[in-house]
Amino acid sequence: MTSSSPNILRAEGFPAEEIRRRARLGARAVFPDASGYGADVFGEVPTGNRPDALDRLRILPPLFTPRRLEKLIELGREPMPADVDLRTDIGGLPSAFPLYLSALGSTKVASTRLGAAAARQAAQLGIPMVIGENIAPVNGYRGDDDSGGSMRRRISAYTGHLNGDLGGVLVQQSTEDADAEVWNQIYSDPETGPILMSGRLGFELKLGQGAKPGLGGMTLVDRDVAEAMAGRYAFDPAFDDGPQRLRCSAPGTFDEEILRQQIRLMRNNFPRARVGVKLFPGRDVATACAVAWEAGADSVTVDGAEGGSGWAPTVMMRSAGLPLADCLARISPAGQCLCVSGRMWEGARAVRCLALGARAVGLGRAALIAVDEDPDAGLIRLVSALTFEMRLLISALGKYAARDLASEDVGGDLVPEPGYPVGR
Amino acid sequence: MTLEVTLGEPARATTVPPDLRTHLTDPSTRAALMIRQSVLTAVRRLLDAEGFVEIQAPIIGPVTDPGVRGAKQMDVDFYGHRYKLMTSAILYKQATLLAFDKIYYIAPNVRMEPLETFGTDRHLVEFHQIDVEMAGASRDDVTALCERLVVAATREVLQHRPAQLGVTGRDLDALRRLGQEPFGRMTHAAAVAELAGMSQQADAHAEIDWSNEEMLSLEAPRPFFLTDYPKGSRGFYDRESRSDPGTLRNFDLIAAEGFGELCSGGERESDYRRIMSRIRETGENPAKYGWYLELAREGLHPSAGFGLGLERLVRYIAGLDAVWQASAYPKLAGVRSA
Repeated sequence: MTSSSPNILRAEGFPAEEIRRRARLGARAVFPDASGYGADVFGEVPTGNRPDALDRLRILPPLFTPRRLEKLIELGREPMPADVDLRTDIGGLPSAFPLYLSALGSTKVASTRLGAAAARQAAQLGIPMVIGENIAPVNGYRGDDDSGGSMRRRISAYTGHLNGDLGGVLVQQSTEDADAEVWNQIYSDPETGPILMSGRLGFELKLGQGAKPGLGGMTLVDRDVAEAMAGRYAFDPAFDDGPQRLRCSAPGTFDEEILRQQIRLMRNNFPRARVGVKLFPGRDVATACAVAWEAGADSVTVDGAEGGSGWAPTVMMRSAGLPLADCLARISPAGQCLCVSGRMWEGARAVRCLALGARAVGLGRAALIAVDEDPDAGLIRLVSALTFEMRLLISALGKYAARDLASEDVGGDLVPEPGYPVGR
Repeated sequence: MTLEVTLGEPARATTVPPDLRTHLTDPSTRAALMIRQSVLTAVRRLLDAEGFVEIQAPIIGPVTDPGVRGAKQMDVDFYGHRYKLMTSAILYKQATLLAFDKIYYIAPNVRMEPLETFGTDRHLVEFHQIDVEMAGASRDDVTALCERLVVAATREVLQHRPAQLGVTGRDLDALRRLGQEPFGRMTHAAAVAELAGMSQQADAHAEIDWSNEEMLSLEAPRPFFLTDYPKGSRGFYDRESRSDPGTLRNFDLIAAEGFGELCSGGERESDYRRIMSRIRETGENPAKYGWYLELAREGLHPSAGFGLGLERLVRYIAGLDAVWQASAYPKLAGVRSA
């Protein structure tokens, strides 16, 4: 399988080569190179990037498997990994897998053909897609160019390839984007009528960004675009001596009551749409999750400090925000839908997140790399490898549904913090 | 007229507008428009007599009423700046009280309503409101005024447009009873409980949805004020109760006989600090409300007021099947028309 794309995408500190291999080979890439089969010996595979606390958690298959017995009785034969049911419900959106395509932002790489390619493949896979909050204000809502960058083109790329009743589109909006009335525009757009009426349209209130906790969005925009945005966005002079300008969004001001009421207003104003909330990995993330769920959010997404495909000051990426493992340790979903993202690309990390309470995990950078490797089927193959691994791991845990994963399924050398759910 | 959309489920509208020639030459359209004229005559007479000053409403502005369920504002390019057509002039009404204590508009409004409103029989994209605001007034003051207006308009039509009411086929007994007893009152919480008793789902933190509202309207023996909506259901300008936080000092007027909501109103927030918090609670960006917040920081009069839907009031008094029949140039969500 070869790719005609020029592989322009770079992702520093991310196992891009391994992801590209999966985008080419699909589930075959889960195994070592088959050409060495029978001749080579294999040990632990070096991943090429430093494992974080989440990656250091071991997945702990048990010897005794009562749920496998239940499945055996149900099937009338020994269960196999292919019997693992990965279908789930992500904040009211039916999904073929506990995966979704994360918001890819308005950065150049996502706004061009890659964004549309990822959208199309997400639809074909039957997994929901999140559309970044500043797509409409930056790239326009309708857009006449063929780049696939506008909000409507991104949605069309998805809805034109829907997989049966599966999937859905979740559109973000944050404080300053409210000026563009993105949600109202979509809600009254005849083109989005079918997904709205079939319950597969959602809106996600965005509180900050994983890559820059506590700050608003930042993008470099060309001077002519900057001029068109004047008055609606703030600009920092840091880049003013170059051809582009630095657009800065405010993070938005929230307290518990503001979050609660914004969610209620979303439910009130858009009664047919699903309601999501996206949180940056703040120290009070557990409280914010609880407020959001109590106010009626269908899903809460937490972007770990490792996450984000957006452009951010390195000091923020290096120094600020809770790692995903800590977020998961603090949040108690208690049956509510928690979605997480941050360095997702393979099955073990996804299974660990699900075991620690998440309902689904988001593919951001990995999805971009995969469609950069092969715009036709890179993401489909990456997901095929990832879900193959998930089925192997979940069946090894003696379980046959992703929703049955629990904290008992992971443990190992992560130093437990007070209240950490591991091993309960 | 062309229906541009597929709604995904059967539209419930009893009728849809015909072409403009057919509509304008239909005797029932002519009757409805003459009833509309009498309604406006009665409204202006009463408000003028009570000392209100009629002001011509603004049409565009940098911001407009954000508290409109699901509807999109319509953008206007104002010399390179994005302005809005008025979804309602509520913010300007508050400002205008700096000039007069009692004001009203007969205000044109435009709302890009969501497609789901196509089948409600009571939403128009372009419509008019009898928009009233009083400095220093309470909710009781303005509900009483609203009631006087509806009764006065009804009596005017009964007296001067009996032939037209015959054409539209109104049940005159129901109209004649109007005003014999005061309008009813029910809190939002009581409405949710009543709906639960009818096995209907209703959210204690949201608007009463259109079908539930119609059900309450059908059950009601006379028009009633639905009061104390929860905070998450309305715009930032409706005043939050100080003694019962989380509920608003506002109201809707619901007509009987299944005609549903005619009017929304309430006491207004006028304190700058509270307005700012409420703006955030409604997901709004304070930056775009510059002129309004500047006025609020320097001081706005406490006030109360309402917007009484002109076409809805005419529909109710004339007994029309759908609100578009009360408009000369009806525009429905998703329908391209004259």
